[in-house]
Amino acid sequence: MILALESSCDESAAALFDPARGIVGEWVNSQIEKHRPYGGVVPELASREHLANFPPILSMVAEKLAGERPEKIVVTRGPGLAACLAMGVAAAKALALEYKCPVAGANHLLGHAWSAFLDFHAQDPASYSERLAAILPHLGLVVSGGNSILFEMGADLTPRILAQTVDDAAGEALDKGAKLLGMPYPGGPLVEKTAQGGNPKKYRFPRAFARTLEPRFSFSGLKTSLRYLIEKMDDATLAAELPDICAGYQAAVVEALSGKVRVFLKAGNYKSLGVTGGVSNNRLLRAQAAALAEKFKIPLLIPHPRHTGDNAAMIAFAAWAYPAGAPVVPAEALEIDPSLKMDGVAG
Amino acid sequence: MATSTCDKLRKGVVTTSAARTRALAKTLAVELPPDCVLALHGDLGSGKTTFVSGLAEGWGIPGPVTSPTFNLLVIHRGARMLAHLDAYRLKSAEDMEALMLEEFLKSPWCLAVEWPENVGEWLPADALHLFLADLGGGRRSLRLATGGPNEA
Repeated sequence: MILALESSCDESAAALFDPARGIVGEWVNSQIEKHRPYGGVVPELASREHLANFPPILSMVAEKLAGERPEKIVVTRGPGLAACLAMGVAAAKALALEYKCPVAGANHLLGHAWSAFLDFHAQDPASYSERLAAILPHLGLVVSGGNSILFEMGADLTPRILAQTVDDAAGEALDKGAKLLGMPYPGGPLVEKTAQGGNPKKYRFPRAFARTLEPRFSFSGLKTSLRYLIEKMDDATLAAELPDICAGYQAAVVEALSGKVRVFLKAGNYKSLGVTGGVSNNRLLRAQAAALAEKFKIPLLIPHPRHTGDNAAMIAFAAWAYPAGAPVVPAEALEIDPSLKMDGVAG
Repeated sequence: MATSTCDKLRKGVVTTSAARTRALAKTLAVELPPDCVLALHGDLGSGKTTFVSGLAEGWGIPGPVTSPTFNLLVIHRGARMLAHLDAYRLKSAEDMEALMLEEFLKSPWCLAVEWPENVGEWLPADALHLFLADLGGGRRSLRLATGGPNEA
């Protein structure tokens, strides 16, 4: 049994993973309600909240373990907010002492990458390895508030980054668009909602690098063109045009992602496609990813919504599925790395 | 000294592309004193992150300088440690303290702060303030001041 802790941002989370069964328990202390009056993550609150959140979560973990000793403790060491990461790492070190088991530092982004395979594993843990081998190489898209990364993974399971954002992440582009449109932060989901019924073709926004193998996404030009568009509109026009504007803006963000996925699927010989992270809940992105998977006749792996945000289940699973990404170290050598990259390169 | 980038920026500069904004920031990087706080004032899309990516180039920091909006704080390592903070969701000096910056900043560092007005009381008196504005058509104005908006 692997016990994982995650506290890279504002969620305090723990999970227990049994390779023979899958996730046997997971606990997330969602702090969204507490934070709402402040509009998002506020580190002062978040780091203090982790201190308050972990004890009750860890007693539930202990109850579930019922005396069984975990084979190892895995904790997210980066990337994330230093003050928050430090809480999880300190808790993990204490647990490793208590349970007399090794401790490993995990990469949050690898967690997102591997979250695509959580349900795939759980379908039939016994045959997981053979089934996995049949859907490699894998093309994966990690899209969240803070990340937009396209990567591939072959038989050695080492992720290789194919493209990443050079400025805003896809989720940020949606949130910033929402802000320009006068919506509360974080407004990404609100843009999606407002876009329903809108005409995505009426207003055309740029899709940078979407149809090329260029190793980057760029979303910063998008918000500038949105600003130019709405500057010329009076309030009444803007209100009337809002669904069409949101639909056009959302389409630009999503097609910048799906367009690049398409060119890589065409250029490579991928046997599966994964879309993970918070933005994988966007319905337009899901629909376009599904259409691509169908066109290329490969399975599409999208995690359950509870595994798209920050969660410990993906951390536990990734540490088991790809142990090289979460090496066991002496407890005193375990350190946070707030700017850790997906491929393990220190920031 | 010949006209430094710092002097030019104090008088105000208009750039005509993101590449020029980046090049300007790159030349400013070597002139910035060690351990300095640079407050970046400007609306969404005024070129703040572009400017910071130019600084990063000046200090030989590899890889893209991505927006810190969601992650709040991104730390880059090169000839200088560059801490890139988006204070948009911060409300007070206490929020700044909670970031435990003093634990992570290794001299020589530069702390670039977007939306600095949110944590105005935290900013040191000798912080540099850069004011950016989008003039339209890809043109952006940049002006540097010390001592905050009052002096500007």
